[in-house]
Formats: sequence, structure tokens, C-alpha cells
Amino acid sequence: MSTTPDQLLDELVGRWTRGEPLAVDELLTRAGPRSDELATLIDSFLERAPRREPSPEALAFVHTLDTPPLLRARQSRKLKLDDLVAGLVETLGLPQDARAKVRRYYQELELGQLDPAGVAVSVWVALASLLGRDARGLAGAPLPAVSAPAMYRKANFDDDLLDTIAPGLARMMTEPSVEPDQVDRLFGVSSAD
Amino acid sequence: MSELTHSSMRDARDAEDNRLLENGEIDLLLAGWYETIVGRCVAKMRGPVGEDVAQFVCERLWRELKAGRHRDGRWPFRVIVHQVIGFACRGWYEQRWSELELLEADGPTGDGFTSDVELQLTLEGFVASLPPGDGEVAGLWLLEGLESDQIAERLGKQPNAVYQARFRIVPRLREWLEG
Repeated sequence: MSTTPDQLLDELVGRWTRGEPLAVDELLTRAGPRSDELATLIDSFLERAPRREPSPEALAFVHTLDTPPLLRARQSRKLKLDDLVAGLVETLGLPQDARAKVRRYYQELELGQLDPAGVAVSVWVALASLLGRDARGLAGAPLPAVSAPAMYRKANFDDDLLDTIAPGLARMMTEPSVEPDQVDRLFGVSSAD
Repeated sequence: MSELTHSSMRDARDAEDNRLLENGEIDLLLAGWYETIVGRCVAKMRGPVGEDVAQFVCERLWRELKAGRHRDGRWPFRVIVHQVIGFACRGWYEQRWSELELLEADGPTGDGFTSDVELQLTLEGFVASLPPGDGEVAGLWLLEGLESDQIAERLGKQPNAVYQARFRIVPRLREWLEG
């Protein structure tokens, strides 16, 4: 016999009065096809119930709120930066020697020094699988436009422009990293410096 | 059972929130609301994405508290918490929603907010609506957080009588929540 919403509501109230974690997601899963019904009851209950005494865990969480959200998400998964980067490189199908560049860009993203708006969807998907969270939202990136057309501009290489970019091109050509363009594109970085 | 009336209990909790605000103990204040925020967001979003929404709500409230907002006590902090939860859950999938300003510097306005402020549907109100015997059990259970055996001991009843009372109370609670 499946557990009814009334029984699960009773369980939630018990957890709440005892000061235990509510684990609402677990209760919704157990409600099965009646999860909507239970969710409405739980929402209504919590809206009307007074707050609880702060638990040490909740207080510890609040004390992390000054940490950048992506960094906080990685720390909460107990992932070292190098482990996450290795996972990113593997998930994105990048060569191993792209790791240093991925590490640099990811760290900048994590610390809010890299604009998340240009980061490719595949990176967000990979990060979501590694962090177990919506990394795009954590980084504060806007949601993708539903039907935004791709915009292209015809290149216009004049001499001045070539003079401007030539030093950068020369530096890129002498850099030892492999496939920098691919990593740049994934992180929305327009130059490899 | 507490001698406080249900409205004065709510006022006492609001006053405690205000005290924490005035003393700058904003970490304790937000931590006290943490489970409510996560629980409501997961329930409203119907799943784990609610944890991301809750994170946003906590970050937003934390930023506002650190900026010294809400100290004037014009709005009970609980009202602000529930308003931000509703705002975040409704707008989570909308474009550019996080750029919208919800709360103005001198406090929230709008019809929805006013109705939230006036919401008297607290648990104390539910307990007061029950017949005396069940009301006593519900009060000790919901308001004082006692387990059934503790309630039985406190009221000098058989544990089975308390279980029976809870069996009657839960459907009433459900009706009240759906009302």
C-alpha cells in the first residue's frame, strides 16, 4: 500500500517539530503520482508555520554566503579544483593538455572574473553533472534566448586591424597549449591572452 | 500549553526577528528561516531545482540584510521571506527575472504583499480552531514540538488517546491548509 499525502504530511510535521531536516524532495518522491497534492500541502504548511531555531548546519550555510556561488557548490561537493577540471576536460572531450587553460578559465568563472554570458551550453551541462546543480544559475548567467537568431558580421581585415592583432596572433602561435580556440570558444573568451 | 494567544505568539516571533535585526545578528536570523526557505522552494518547484531557487533566495536575503535593509521593522521579516520565495519561484524560468527589483528601499508594496501581511492563517490559528481536547494535543504537537508519548504524559492521557487525536487532527490540518 502506498503512503498517502496525509501520512507524508504527518511525517513532515514530525520532522519540523523535532527540528530535523525536512527533506521535502524525498517526501515528494515517495508521494509518487500524488506529489503535486503533497507539495501544495507542504508549501502551505511552511508558509504558515513559524521559523525554527537555527540549526548549526543552517548557520554554517549562511556563513558561506559570501563565497561565490560556484565555488560554494564545488566545496559542498568536496571537489578539488583539479578534480573538477579533470571532469570538465573529460566530459567536454578535450585533450588532456587543454587542462591548464580550462583550469584558468574555470577558476575565473568561479570567482566571477569571467563573464558567464559567453560560456557555451555544453560547459554548463558538464558543470551541472559535476556539481549536481544548475551551474548557469549559480554563476548568474542569463538564460539562453528562446529564438535568438545567430548574428554574423563579415570580417573586414584592413591593415590597421592586422597591425593590431598581429602581436597577439604571433603570441598565440608560439603558445604550447593545444587547441586553444576550442577552449576559448567554450568559455566565451575572444582572445587567448 | 503556552498562555500566549496565537496572535501574541506570532507577534513575539516577529519581535524576536526584529531583535536579531537590530542587534545585527543577521546570520542567526537567516539561518532560522533556512529550512522554511528550502522546504517551500522544493515544494513549489516540485523537485531538486528548488534547492537552486532556495540558494538564490538566501543569497538575495543575505545581500539585503548585509546592506541594512528591513531594519526599520515596517514589515515583519517573515513576510519578506515569503514574498521573496514567491517571487523567486514564480520567476525562475523567466528571462532576466533576477534583474527585477522586488523590494523597494522603504519596503514592499503591491496588492499581493498587502494580503500576505494581513495573513492571519498561522498554525496558532489552526490550533485555536480545534475542539478543546484535540486543540490541546495539536498545540503541544505543532506549537511546542512534543512527541506523542510526551503529550500523553503532559496531559495525563493514554498514548493511544493521543495517537487517535493526531489521527483526527491531520485531516483537519490538511483541510485547513487547502482552504
